[in-house]
Amino acid sequence: MSLRRDVRHGLRIGRAEFVRSLRGYASETRRIVGLLLLLLFFGGNLLVSLPVVYVAGQSAQSVTEIPFFGPVATAIPVVLTLLATFRTLERIGRVEHESLVLTTVHPRAVVVGLITAEVGRIALWFGLPFAVVAATFTAGLGAPSLLVTATAVVVPLACCTTVWGYAVGIAVLRGFERLPGVRRTLKVVGFVAMVGVVLVSQSVGRSLADGSLPVDTLAATLTFGPLADFLALAFVGTPLARPFSVAAVATLAAIVALTPVGLVVATRQASALWFADRASGRDRDSAATVAKADGSPGGFSTPKPLSATKGGHVAWGLLVRGVRHPQKFTHLVMLVFFLGPLGTTIVQSSADGLGPILAASGAGLGTYLAGATFGLNPLGDDRPQFPMLLLTPTAPRALVRGRVLAGVILGVPVAAALPLATVALGTSPLSAVAFALVGVLMCLAAAAFAVGIGAAYPIYEEREFWGATTVVPSTLVLMGFMFVVGPGTVIGLVATWFGVTGHLSATPLLAGGLGLYLLVTGGVSYGSYRYAIRRYRTYTFD
Amino acid sequence: MPSTNADAAVEAVDLRKTYGSEVALDGVSLSIPSGTVYGFLGPNGAGKTTTMRILTGLSQPTSGSVRICGLDVSDREKLAPHVGYLPETPPLYDEFSAREQLDYVGDLRDIPSETAEARIDDLLDAFGLVGDANKRIGTYSKGMKQKTAFIQSVLHEPDVLFLDEPTSGLDPRAARQIRTSIGDVADSGSTVFLSTHILPVVEAVADEVGVLFDGRVVAEGTPDEVKSRAQTGGEGSLEDAFLAVTSDETRLSGVADE
Repeated sequence: MSLRRDVRHGLRIGRAEFVRSLRGYASETRRIVGLLLLLLFFGGNLLVSLPVVYVAGQSAQSVTEIPFFGPVATAIPVVLTLLATFRTLERIGRVEHESLVLTTVHPRAVVVGLITAEVGRIALWFGLPFAVVAATFTAGLGAPSLLVTATAVVVPLACCTTVWGYAVGIAVLRGFERLPGVRRTLKVVGFVAMVGVVLVSQSVGRSLADGSLPVDTLAATLTFGPLADFLALAFVGTPLARPFSVAAVATLAAIVALTPVGLVVATRQASALWFADRASGRDRDSAATVAKADGSPGGFSTPKPLSATKGGHVAWGLLVRGVRHPQKFTHLVMLVFFLGPLGTTIVQSSADGLGPILAASGAGLGTYLAGATFGLNPLGDDRPQFPMLLLTPTAPRALVRGRVLAGVILGVPVAAALPLATVALGTSPLSAVAFALVGVLMCLAAAAFAVGIGAAYPIYEEREFWGATTVVPSTLVLMGFMFVVGPGTVIGLVATWFGVTGHLSATPLLAGGLGLYLLVTGGVSYGSYRYAIRRYRTYTFD
Repeated sequence: MPSTNADAAVEAVDLRKTYGSEVALDGVSLSIPSGTVYGFLGPNGAGKTTTMRILTGLSQPTSGSVRICGLDVSDREKLAPHVGYLPETPPLYDEFSAREQLDYVGDLRDIPSETAEARIDDLLDAFGLVGDANKRIGTYSKGMKQKTAFIQSVLHEPDVLFLDEPTSGLDPRAARQIRTSIGDVADSGSTVFLSTHILPVVEAVADEVGVLFDGRVVAEGTPDEVKSRAQTGGEGSLEDAFLAVTSDETRLSGVADE
């Protein structure tokens, strides 16, 4: 009776949380536009791939012919469990307004509710495209029963992996509460591991392509037979069916039996976590104590030459706050996804090419930092202080200029020092100096561009991003910045390389192209900077 | 220390709460009869919120015991129908309208839908929220949010209502509305445990007052008793008494035991 009531409450909580998510997605016009862009991009890709899926359904003869079926079937439960674990760590480890919910219903109902809502969100984001692909494949295969059997296989698996992933995630959160030091260490380890994974994935991709990897041996090693047999049950009653296996049925039974066990474990873990004293509060206290002990004697003194201008003061303030609260820069980890291909290129480059590649990379890295560090959410960053900032005699121009300057101060040393340092690796001094100079100019352009694009789409809500709660820029803005500044920087650096190596001859076409490039780069950056100033000048708390 | 009373709505015995070497509560005992409005006072950091979290079962004491309406607070399933809790930050979902929020809580409280609907209509009307009931809570003012959260906490007609700073930041009209409602809740036989810094509110509605200082109850009794024991003189206000008992604890160490 109690279980039935808790499940009923859980489903109600799940429905409410899911509705809240949907309303959150559609709460602003800009978010809707972002979603439409995503839909356009991924939906378009999906539509284009459907004919291929249909033909694959028509031509499929046996499940054993599906490439890498064994390792993929083994990977699916692992990936689903990991996904649930990470989502628990990131988002659903706690319910919003605990004081209300936990004094109203049993924690088991809350666990059921959070998991239900999460399954709903995953079904919305991934289930719909998956269903479209499955339906198309089924149509090609001519066996409608596949949809039913696939659902019968996927749903228990998804429930089991989600419940256990949740239990694991909660257990990890409990561990973090007990040992806050582990959380900090794991953040660093996780970051390094992610860089490693990106780098390795590049190498694996190439090795797969050139055939140097023993694919068959690897596939056999990574396949867990009972899981592959279980997923093959999805094809029962279709031309792709493989002989019935006892292991498959036993796996299905184990999955079904493990789900309630996982729910019990998850509930106990969650109760222990939610009703325990929050380590974070004590951490904050101790952090405050440490900060007090470390203190900041004296007033705010801006060093020269920054102290000469108001923009300089603002820039110094941003730098000091950044150093004291580095979590503000968690959005910069997006850079990791670009380090992978770059790292592989550097590793595989010849000794002659290493210096110039590193020099160009340094200029590019500095450019990225100059814009992305302080520029991509200026209004969101400054909003809490606006009642003070906008009512001082300091002009908005100085506020924006300070933000640009802070980015430049951070980016320029990287953009200049790395190219110059590569002289030791054989880069000619001329090339090194040229890359450094171009890098410095790029920093200026990127920092000016960033404040404009950031001001166009401010984010005010604090979010948990990579384990730190902070106001991070919109992903859309971050991607937009990269799509504009990335190619722009590459064009500039490639042109520089050809220029210093004497591969460019002065022609009207070259002069025109270069002029156009400089005009666009300078014009867009300056326009963006002016736009940011205007947004500051006309800002209102609406 | 108050004696254990089986009829007490709130019975806490020798509560102690520590965070490592830091002592948040040090032997807090309370015995609050049913139908009482109990004003719980204390300076910032005295341990009021910790006490309230323990009394609502949201946190566990390091030692000591708590019973609400005779139920051990660790039995949350049985406890839930008996308590209502309004924390300092109203626990509302911005994405819902007030009516949706209250319907949702009514569902979770297992209040029959017709009963819930009638109560929601009555309470929305009493608090002047009918016209805005279908607007998203994200668009509400602080006062509207606080009133919605108050309705939410009394929707199931709890035996004990815990209120943490319910009138903080409200305009006089909204504050009076909440204050009147606290009296109504008490008149209906419920017990109200009211934590606030706004002493005139306590003076206006509380039958009994407890002052928490440095993790200990340093004064307890009716407002008049506390005022007289704090030796503020006959003309002193509760504010004077509060300042006295929380500024020179040793002088009054015996007050709670008197």
